[in-house]
Amino acid sequence: MNTVKGEWTRIDTDLLIIGGGVAGSMAAVPALEAGLEVVICEKGRVLDNCGSVGCGVDHYLTIMDTGPEWDTPEFLIKHLPDLTDGIVDIEVAGRVIREMPRILRKIESMGVDFTDPRTGTYERVRSFGLPGLYHVHFEGTDFKRRIGKHVRSGRATVLTRTMAVQVLAEDNKAYGALAFNFRTGEWVAIRAKSVVLTTGDVNRISQNASGLAFDSWHFPYNTGDAQAMGFRVGASLANMEFVEMTLTPKGFSAQGLNALVSMGAYFLNKSGERFMFRYDTKGENARRAILADAVVNEYLLGNGPIYLDCRHLPKETLDAMEATLQVDRYTLPAFYRQKGVNLREDMIEISVSELSIRRSGVYFRGSGLAVDVNGETSVEGLFAAGDCATVSGGISGAAVLGHIAGEGAVERIRRINGARPEIDWDDAETTRERGRSFTRRDNGLPWQQFEQRTRQCVTDYAGVRRTRHSLLHALDTLHALAKQEDHLIADDLHGMMRVHESRNIRLNAEIMSTAALAREESRTGSAHRRIDFPQANDEKFRKFIVVDKGEGGKARVRYLDSGLPLSAGFARVSSLS
Amino acid sequence: MEIAGRTVHNPIVIDEARCVRCNLCDWICPGDIIYKEEDNKLTLPVIQYPDECWYCGLCESICPTDAISVTFPEQMLHNRSNVVNLLGKIADSGR
Repeated sequence: MNTVKGEWTRIDTDLLIIGGGVAGSMAAVPALEAGLEVVICEKGRVLDNCGSVGCGVDHYLTIMDTGPEWDTPEFLIKHLPDLTDGIVDIEVAGRVIREMPRILRKIESMGVDFTDPRTGTYERVRSFGLPGLYHVHFEGTDFKRRIGKHVRSGRATVLTRTMAVQVLAEDNKAYGALAFNFRTGEWVAIRAKSVVLTTGDVNRISQNASGLAFDSWHFPYNTGDAQAMGFRVGASLANMEFVEMTLTPKGFSAQGLNALVSMGAYFLNKSGERFMFRYDTKGENARRAILADAVVNEYLLGNGPIYLDCRHLPKETLDAMEATLQVDRYTLPAFYRQKGVNLREDMIEISVSELSIRRSGVYFRGSGLAVDVNGETSVEGLFAAGDCATVSGGISGAAVLGHIAGEGAVERIRRINGARPEIDWDDAETTRERGRSFTRRDNGLPWQQFEQRTRQCVTDYAGVRRTRHSLLHALDTLHALAKQEDHLIADDLHGMMRVHESRNIRLNAEIMSTAALAREESRTGSAHRRIDFPQANDEKFRKFIVVDKGEGGKARVRYLDSGLPLSAGFARVSSLS
Repeated sequence: MEIAGRTVHNPIVIDEARCVRCNLCDWICPGDIIYKEEDNKLTLPVIQYPDECWYCGLCESICPTDAISVTFPEQMLHNRSNVVNLLGKIADSGR
C-alpha cells in the first residue's frame, strides 16, 4: 500500500528493514519466503552492492559439522568466554553458532560458491586466534550480489538513496520509521508490523593520519544510525565502550597489513629494531589487538616512525603479496603505485587507524543494540543484527543473526495480527521540519565542522587512552555539542543526510564515553584502555555495561552480570513464547 | 577542482574521451558522491562531493570503458602528520 498524505509518501508493510547490507538482506529472506511484504531502506543505490562488503569478501567464518570436535557448535561455544575476555551473551552467540551450518547452506542455495574451484572442496583455515579452522577462504567478489539478487527477485521493495531518521514506537513497541530520499527530497512514513535495524558499525568518530573524515578502515557511510535511532526510542545498548582500530599504511586507512604480516612481513621501529618480540613470543603473528597495542606503545616511547618491511621475503612470496593486495581494498595497489613505493624495495611507514565502534576485534561480542535469541531488542517489535547488534561476527555473524532476526520478526508478525498504530503526524512533521531547517538556515554550524569537533574530542579524550578525568571532559564537550544540533547547516538534500549522520555519530560518541567511564578497568587491549585503571578487574567488571536513554535524553548506565543474557535486563516480556 | 571558492582534491578522475555517459558510477557509489544526469548521453558524471570519497574504487572497477582512475591526494600519499597526536591527550593520571 502506497499513498501520499500531505506531501508524505505513506507505505504500510509487514516488515521494514533499515540497512541493505548482508544482515538486512538476510533478514528479508524468511519474510519473503513467508509471503510477507518487505520494505528495505538503504542509503546506497543498488542492493547488490550495498553495505560494507559491496566490493566482495574473501573469507567466511562457519561451523560445518564435518566430524572433528572443533567443527561442532559446542566446541566453539565452550571457547566463547576466552575469545571475548569474558564479556559475551552466550545465549545469543550460542544460537548464532548453532545456526551457522543451516545459514551456510541457505547462502549456497542463492548461488554463492564457497568451494575452491581448483579442488572442489572448502579451503578452511585457522585465523584471528580462533580455536579451529573456521574460516572458509573463497572467491567472494559476487557474495553480496548473489544475496541482493535473491532478495530483489523475492520482490522486496527497496527504497534506495533513502535514510531513515526516526523509528516510530509507542508503549515500547516499534511500528515503523520516518525516512527521506536524499536525491528527490521525498519524505516517507512507513508503518510496519516489525522493524529490523541493520545499519552496521559507527565510523567517522575519531581522527586518523590523513585527517580526512571519509578515509577510514571501515565503511565511512556507516554512522551508527541504528544505535542512535534505537537509543532515542528507549532501546538498550551494550559493549559500547569497546572500540576497534587496526594498522594501516600511513595516510591511507585501508585494510591489508594483516595479510602481509601473515605472509612473513616484519615491523621495524625507527632504530631498525624488530620490536614485536618484546610484546609477544609470536612476534608479528600475535593477535591483531596486540599488534596495534605494540605499535601504539612504540609511538608513545618515541620509537616511531614504524615501518613494515617485506624486503627479506623470497620472490614467490612477494609476487603473491603483490597479486593479492587488491583483495582487501581494490585501490591499494594504485595507492602504492602513486606513492612511488613497492614492497620489494621499500619499507612502508605505518600508522594506527581511526577508531570504529564495531566488535573491537573480537568475534561474537558486538557493540550496539542489545538483542535476545531472536534478534529482538529491548523495544518490542524492534530487531537488530550485524555490526549494530551485541552479537557480531563479521560477514557470517551478520548473515546468521540477520536471518534469525528475520525469522523472529515473521513469528511476531503472525502473532500480532496486523494492528499498526496511527502515526503521530504532529511529531512526524516536527521531525521533517527539523530536517528541512538544516538546509534553509543562512547562518549556523556546517555539519563538517560539527563532526570534526566530535572526532577531535573523541581522539583527544575518549579514544585510545582514557581516564575518568578525560572521559568527563569528553562528555562535557559532547553534551555542549548536542546543544549545537539545532543550528547545523547543510547545502542540499545530500547534506541534510550528512547532518543526520553527524548527529548520530555524536550520540554514539556520548554513549561510548558514558560506557567507558563506567568500566573502571582495562580490557581487551586497546579496545578499552583506562590509564587510571590499567588492569582487568574480573571481580568487579565481568559485567556488561548497559546504556539507555535517561533523563533529558542523556545516556545512563546499568551493570549486568555477563553470565546472564542481556535480555535478562529487558523490561518487556519476550515476544515469542 | 574548485568548490565554493576553495580548491578541493578530485579523487575520481574521468577520461571524457572514454566515458560513455552510462550512469554506472553514480549507481554503484556507496557514498552518493557521483551524480550523473540520467537518460542524457551528452552530460558527464559530476564528482559532487569529492571530500566524502572512501577511495574504494567501486566506480573504477565497474566502469565499462576504464574511463575512471582513483587518484590519491598528497596528504594521503606523503603524509607528514604525527601519529602520537592520534593517541590522546593525557596530561595527568586523571583521578
